[in-house]
Amino acid sequence: MKYQNRIELLQGTLDMLILQTLQWGNNHGYGIANAIRANSGELLKVETGSLYPALHRLEKQGWVKSEWKLTETGQRAKFYHLTAAGKKQLASEHDRWTQLSAAIAGIMNPAARES
Amino acid sequence: MRFFPFRRRENDLDAEIAAHLKMAEQDRVDRGETTAQARSGARREFGSEALVKETTREVWGWNGLRSLARDLRYAVRIVRKNPGFSAVVIATLALGIGANSAIYSAMRAALTPAPIPAMDRVAIVWTDNFKRGEHEFPVSAPDYLDWKGSGAFSSLAIFEQKGRNMRLGSRTERLDGINATDGFFETIAIRPLIGRVFGPQDSQPGHDDVAILSYGLWRSRFAADPAVVGSKVILDGAAYTIVGVLPAAFPRYGKDPIYSPKLLTDAIDSDRGSRHYFAIGRLAPGLSLDAARKRLDDLGTRLAASYPMTNAGTTPRPQPLQEAFVQDARTMLAVLFGAVGFVLLIACANIANLVLARGTSRAREMTVRAALGASRWQLARQSLTENLLLAIAGGVLAMAPAAAAKTLITTFSIEELPNADLITLDWRVLVFNLILSAVTGIVFGMVPALQMRNVQVHEALKSAGRAVAGGSHQRLRGLLVVSEVALTLILLAGAGLMARTFLRLRAAYPGYDTRGVLTMKVALPVRQYQSGDRQSGFFARVMEQAAAVPGLRAIGAIDDLPTSDNLHGTGLTFPDRPEPRSEDIPLVLRNSVIGDYFHAMRVPLLRGRYLNDADGKDAPRVAVIDEWTANRFWPHQDAVGRPFRFGRRGAVHHVVGVVRNVDAGVADTVFKGRLGHFYLSAWQEPQPVMTLVARTDGDPLSLVSGIRDVVRRIDVDQPVFDVMTMSAVRAAGSTSQELISLLLGGFAALALVLAAIGIYGVVAYNVGRRTREFGIRMSLGAQRSDVLRLVAGRSLVLAATGIGIGLAGAYALTSVMKDLLYGVAATDPITFAAVTVILAAVTLLAGYLPARRATRIDPVLALREE
Repeated sequence: MKYQNRIELLQGTLDMLILQTLQWGNNHGYGIANAIRANSGELLKVETGSLYPALHRLEKQGWVKSEWKLTETGQRAKFYHLTAAGKKQLASEHDRWTQLSAAIAGIMNPAARES
Repeated sequence: MRFFPFRRRENDLDAEIAAHLKMAEQDRVDRGETTAQARSGARREFGSEALVKETTREVWGWNGLRSLARDLRYAVRIVRKNPGFSAVVIATLALGIGANSAIYSAMRAALTPAPIPAMDRVAIVWTDNFKRGEHEFPVSAPDYLDWKGSGAFSSLAIFEQKGRNMRLGSRTERLDGINATDGFFETIAIRPLIGRVFGPQDSQPGHDDVAILSYGLWRSRFAADPAVVGSKVILDGAAYTIVGVLPAAFPRYGKDPIYSPKLLTDAIDSDRGSRHYFAIGRLAPGLSLDAARKRLDDLGTRLAASYPMTNAGTTPRPQPLQEAFVQDARTMLAVLFGAVGFVLLIACANIANLVLARGTSRAREMTVRAALGASRWQLARQSLTENLLLAIAGGVLAMAPAAAAKTLITTFSIEELPNADLITLDWRVLVFNLILSAVTGIVFGMVPALQMRNVQVHEALKSAGRAVAGGSHQRLRGLLVVSEVALTLILLAGAGLMARTFLRLRAAYPGYDTRGVLTMKVALPVRQYQSGDRQSGFFARVMEQAAAVPGLRAIGAIDDLPTSDNLHGTGLTFPDRPEPRSEDIPLVLRNSVIGDYFHAMRVPLLRGRYLNDADGKDAPRVAVIDEWTANRFWPHQDAVGRPFRFGRRGAVHHVVGVVRNVDAGVADTVFKGRLGHFYLSAWQEPQPVMTLVARTDGDPLSLVSGIRDVVRRIDVDQPVFDVMTMSAVRAAGSTSQELISLLLGGFAALALVLAAIGIYGVVAYNVGRRTREFGIRMSLGAQRSDVLRLVAGRSLVLAATGIGIGLAGAYALTSVMKDLLYGVAATDPITFAAVTVILAAVTLLAGYLPARRATRIDPVLALREE
């Protein structure tokens, strides 16, 4: 099953996106997936088969923690929130991403280079 | 709350996913979808729940254990849901593995080293004669004394197995005995349980009246009384002092023997050509076996130069004790191990076949599971788990056939198989079984896993699972059947050759009539019967008085029965022919007979006369020979009246009669070819140990007490022993062949059944798959015979290919069994043809039965199906 009209996420990028999404507040899996899709202008769709393993992996690393709470519509859901370590991890991944995307942009758009 | 960490997380994940779905559903309802639409939409968007769970669990880390538990649960369910299939697989494996473990334990027992300190330094030393092609002959006393001086050994001893008559209270009975020279116990280096072993002082003439008891003898005849050391025992009419008792672990020759010192004082011990002792030695410190071999070679060359008459071409050859110990059993064990290996391979091929056949019916299940997100590895793992489960069940159950085979092997108590009493089915055998079954499980479990490799989920689902059973799959099954048939043919050929050997050894007319003949041995101690006259006189008196025993028709005696493995070989020369080179002197067998031996055994006279009591000590030396010998040494002339000698200097004898050939049993198998056979009068060539041979019209055992009484009346000190009917004696001579025939035959029969099942399965499956096609063919006018040809054709091709390959394999492999065969070539065409016919018939029948079903297809029903 392929979704050729959508961009496949780079390995490791999903973790960063999840951490970034959680910076705006606690959220459950469904909410995180929706937030990523909405904030990417419908371009990025997170597969549940990647999302839940990622969440559990992040939790195992100690970057997020989870607890069961009620949503505003009264639905019981498992909410994830960032830990201090998670915030640090997000900052370092963000830096790495900025560098990487600048580097890639430099290669892809040579005209924009100041030389 | 940490008791069920799996369960808690599992529930947690389930709830998390359920919440996800609920929220997605709610959003869709909010957007205006109906509840039903929203539910299926949310599910579709979510994707495979199972896959999400599986990949998430992998993150948890203990997935391996979890999935094993789940695979096992599933496997148990599958196994229980298919009791027929599972039973066939488990039974096949149990038989295959059971046969393997029985042979394995026999082999392990055979390879168990005797508990001799630094055993790798101990060697048996044989006389080899490369000029005459003689291998592993014993040694003569003069040669031994020269070898001893070679410096190759720190200790070297010779020994002989010599039965003793032991008087205990009022009874005299026959014991196995070993007479060994000084150095025997030093070489073996095992400390006695009680008392001492022999020292140099015991080898002084007049001080050699000492004896050592084996552990078994001490237990059975002396009630394990420690005070027995120092007491006297009467052996062959003379008193011996018991000086020690050996531990149970002492390596044995014979059954529970008594040991006494061997003094090299007899006349025969000065004859360098009289080789009848076994030599055992411990290598000198720091000397390697190769270095010792080199020294002995040099010594052999020197001796051959000094004594060309007796030693031309001979060389002493050391053989490590362990090797000597197992070599008799080696061929037998190799053949049996090969056979059980084949059986297991066939069982594996067959199970792979069954698994494949079932794989097709389970193809849909597999594709569905693949569609639901199971990875190929998961599917493969599942199939492996299932098959491992079956295999291990088979491996555990294999203990039953293994125990049966073990009982069979031990009840035969074959001489060639060392340590038969050590054959046990212990935890090591169970471990061996389990390893073997795990390996087989993996081997045939891989098959469906490989088969899943190319499954295109999409296509497979569309075609309702049929696509999996494609061409490559059928080719694989065909290949399996071909290899089964080929392996079966090899086994059948081996079994056939053994069966023919066995039948030849037992059923073929041996040249005498075994029915109604009783045999028993009497061994006169030379101490009590020193002269040959007294020895022959004793036996003549027994013959005379036994004639009065009711029912006795004829009685005679011979030094060694034709079935005996005790051979008296001697060189043959002719006074009327030119002096031959020593390596050209033929070896012939000679026996001493007395009384009506030929009548009692019903060996017909062809020319001349039998021996009789008139051929006495002072009469002209005479001999009766057999037909083969007459034709071999006196071709195209009448042998009667011709002269010959034993050795170059022996007395001239004349042939007085020619009798019908008698099978020499062991001699024929040992020398791989017939030897000349000479019967001498015991008056002229007396022997202290003779076997009485008595014929009656009824049950031979009815003569036992009568003859026993006669012997007792003549000399109460002489026990009668080895009382057996001639038929039993003959049967005992071929027990190892009988056992191998039985085992190989059983294995081959098993293989035949398995191969038949294999072919039947393939053809039946084919018929089932092509029912519709046959329906169409028949409605278009095809005759039943056309359909039959179509279906049977395939099994014919499979069987023919397998048989062809099997014949080639059997041709190459049966030569391994050469040493076990007798009277039949390793590539005997009759055996090969017979087993080919059997196998072809069975495989064709196995193919015909399902093919016939194809012809019974009702076209209308077949077309309407599906």
